[in-house]
Amino acid sequence: MIRLAFLLACLAFPAAAQDRIVSLGGSVSEIVAALGAADRLVARDSTTLYPPELIDLPDVGYIRSLSPEGVLSVGPDIILAEDGAGPVEVVEALQQAGVPFVSIPEDPSPEGVLAKIRAVAAALDMPAQGEALAADVAEAFAAVPEPEGQPLRVLFVLAQQGGRLMVGGQGTAADGIIRLAGGMNAATGFSGYKPMTDEAIITAQPDAILMMTRGESHALSDADLLAHPALAVTPAAQIPVIRMDGLLLLGFGPRTPQAARDLHAAIYGG
Amino acid sequence: MIRASNLTVRLRDRAILHGIDFFARLGEVTAIVGPNGSGKTTLMRALTGDLPAEGQIEVAGLNPRTAKPWQMAAIRAVLPQATPMAFPFTVLEVVRLGLQAGLDARQPHLALAALARVGLQGYEARFYQELSGGEQQRVQIARVLAQVSRPGGRWLMLDEPVSSLDIGHQLQIMELAADFAAQGGGVIAVMHDLNLTAMFAQSVALLADGRLLGQGAPRHVLTDRALSAAYRCRIRVNKTPESGTWLLPHLAESN
Amino acid sequence: MVALNPPMPGDRSHRARRLFLWLSALLALVAVVSIQTGASGVSLAGLWDGQGLSPRDKVILWGIRLPRLVMSMLVGAALAVSGAVMQGLFRNPLADPGIVGVGAGASLGAVVGIVLGGLLPVWVLQQAGGQLIGLMAFAGSTGVTLLLYRVATRGGRTSVATMLLAGIAIAALTGAVTGVLVYLADDQQLRTLTFWGLGSLAGATWGKLGAVLPLILPPLLAAPLLARGLNGLALGEAVAAHTGLPVQRIKAGAILIVAAATGASVAVAGGIGFIGIVVPHLLRLSVGPDHRWLLPNAAVLGAALLTLADIAARMVVAPAELPIGIVTALIGAPVFLWILLQRRGVVDL
Repeated sequence: MIRLAFLLACLAFPAAAQDRIVSLGGSVSEIVAALGAADRLVARDSTTLYPPELIDLPDVGYIRSLSPEGVLSVGPDIILAEDGAGPVEVVEALQQAGVPFVSIPEDPSPEGVLAKIRAVAAALDMPAQGEALAADVAEAFAAVPEPEGQPLRVLFVLAQQGGRLMVGGQGTAADGIIRLAGGMNAATGFSGYKPMTDEAIITAQPDAILMMTRGESHALSDADLLAHPALAVTPAAQIPVIRMDGLLLLGFGPRTPQAARDLHAAIYGG
Repeated sequence: MIRASNLTVRLRDRAILHGIDFFARLGEVTAIVGPNGSGKTTLMRALTGDLPAEGQIEVAGLNPRTAKPWQMAAIRAVLPQATPMAFPFTVLEVVRLGLQAGLDARQPHLALAALARVGLQGYEARFYQELSGGEQQRVQIARVLAQVSRPGGRWLMLDEPVSSLDIGHQLQIMELAADFAAQGGGVIAVMHDLNLTAMFAQSVALLADGRLLGQGAPRHVLTDRALSAAYRCRIRVNKTPESGTWLLPHLAESN
Repeated sequence: MVALNPPMPGDRSHRARRLFLWLSALLALVAVVSIQTGASGVSLAGLWDGQGLSPRDKVILWGIRLPRLVMSMLVGAALAVSGAVMQGLFRNPLADPGIVGVGAGASLGAVVGIVLGGLLPVWVLQQAGGQLIGLMAFAGSTGVTLLLYRVATRGGRTSVATMLLAGIAIAALTGAVTGVLVYLADDQQLRTLTFWGLGSLAGATWGKLGAVLPLILPPLLAAPLLARGLNGLALGEAVAAHTGLPVQRIKAGAILIVAAATGASVAVAGGIGFIGIVVPHLLRLSVGPDHRWLLPNAAVLGAALLTLADIAARMVVAPAELPIGIVTALIGAPVFLWILLQRRGVVDL
């Protein structure tokens, strides 16, 4: 329902070529670039890190604590934003300034990615390119291999804090990508990113650990992590930790089929 | 006239004062004396309205527990034993706080005059917190003097005004009090020094264990027997040969 | 009045009065700089060179910068004045609305709004809209203040010591409840929480201003009425009453002023530290603790400093911006330490 409203809102701003786009949110920026409109971007937010050439654009800050004048200062014709951009008053101020502000719905699933692509394409008045990209991505999703037999249990570890593991529960992007890759989220019974008790980890019996790479300084080595008393007694301790780029893994953009394939290969030894 | 009848003060069900009858007249210095813990300060705080008390209290016709603060402030100024100040006020600023009551608030020279009377001229710009205990006490005396700068019909209620002072300043402050009384004001002072009391008070109330042993002229109240009973030691009272004032206490032998 | 005569030694009111003029000039200057400065480079110059302002420039100047300037002045003044009033009430230069749990109450309200807001009936959400967090923060600070007052007041007399202790207990309790809610929060809510806690004026709009003005302005205007009373309280409550001050009414007034001004500023701007402690302290060092001058001077200096901090917050990493709470702490804390070092042994707190 809400999503439909957003799509309709997007359709309401066609026509005039928007030559100055501000893109807020890593996956939205990726879609803009994949549609071939990267040269029309004039600014990005701090979560936009791919493709690498976008990093040189002015950074208007974190998507949830935007500065109204900061965004306006780059002279945008249109602002594309992932769900949750804010604060609300800033969005209102931007709208008052007469800049179309398009909120792109977020859902960590293949359908969600396709909907995002179509929404961005509609907002940029590029429906043909949008359909082509959506078709490509849908095809790529279909090509992600299915597991043979019982799916393996994957535990996404966001961070280790004082000996406790912050893991990705139900409804998170981590949960979505694990299922896309043909695995099963080992963290069940709660939603969001939460610390998990040692006993629950042992009970969950993960077959593999998934983490994000963090620049060059991996704070946590495999040996350190797998020495965790609860993890050590699970099957996951027998194999190396799977590490993938965070934006690729959790971004739910055009590269997600790729991420799912990579993850599948890492889990099942493709 | 300040009068208390059948005054009883309890703290947590324990009676600190038992049925005290006390009075003080304008034109006189009335001293409250007694050993430590006898209830002197408690009596003073009941008279100022700080403590709830059973019995009757009347200060110039007003009940200090129910009268408005400014009504009370207009007729009496109160000096506590010590007054620590929260912020770096100058001496002049502290004395001016005595002018809050509104009556004399527009006469800032009263603050300077009061400082001069306690011998602190030239101290106006000093920080109160940097003064010695005795100097702070004199600043506070200047503050209460400023509050009731016209003595007629007004009261000074002083809790141990001279305890932290040297003998010269003790005499100076007691003479100020006597002067205040001579101009038609009334003074009630909690005292430790019985010599000064005998020298300056026209009326003395002697307390022991929360009870009033007697009130009246010093020669009638400050007797060998009463003092020995109150302070639980043997005390002999001597007369000075020259002036006939009482010099007290001359300690005989302690038991 | 007094200070027009040649100043008496020890009388600092003429200096305080002069400082007020200087601070007002500083505030005016800072306000002009704030209006002229921004990531977009728009300035009022367009008004004079005859070109006029484009519609977008108008939005930036009147719709974004001006409400933000007014908000930073109001919040800065409210924080500094609440700090000064609270310190006078508690006779303690380190007292701050943060210490007696008023800030903690506001935070709890905000966290409840962020984490549990989604559970509210839809019609409530529609009414509150984007103000939900702010409203909840205000409700929290007011609730804590009333609770404090009830705990600490017996027979019409407020015990400051009980209030301080109760404030610490309430801060611990609200902190624990906040912790539980933070645990329940999902990823998005956590990030919102973090940024709210650091404080920001980015959300200032005329609508928001209209909502907080009735809460901040009356306490600011009423605070000077308490000045004599707060001066007297420095002598202690009993002595203050002996000098003729209606102590109970002064305390009730001070509590109301602090609750309204702090709650409203925390509600619109989040947690902004140090203004409430540094500003009154600086002023006490320079022109003394007389609240008749301390309170107006604190209002003006607080407004100027927070506006300056906001300029820095907007410009340093433009087009992004820093949370203003970080700026005030980064500047305020070292300045405060420096003052303490300079003044060590000269004037005791």
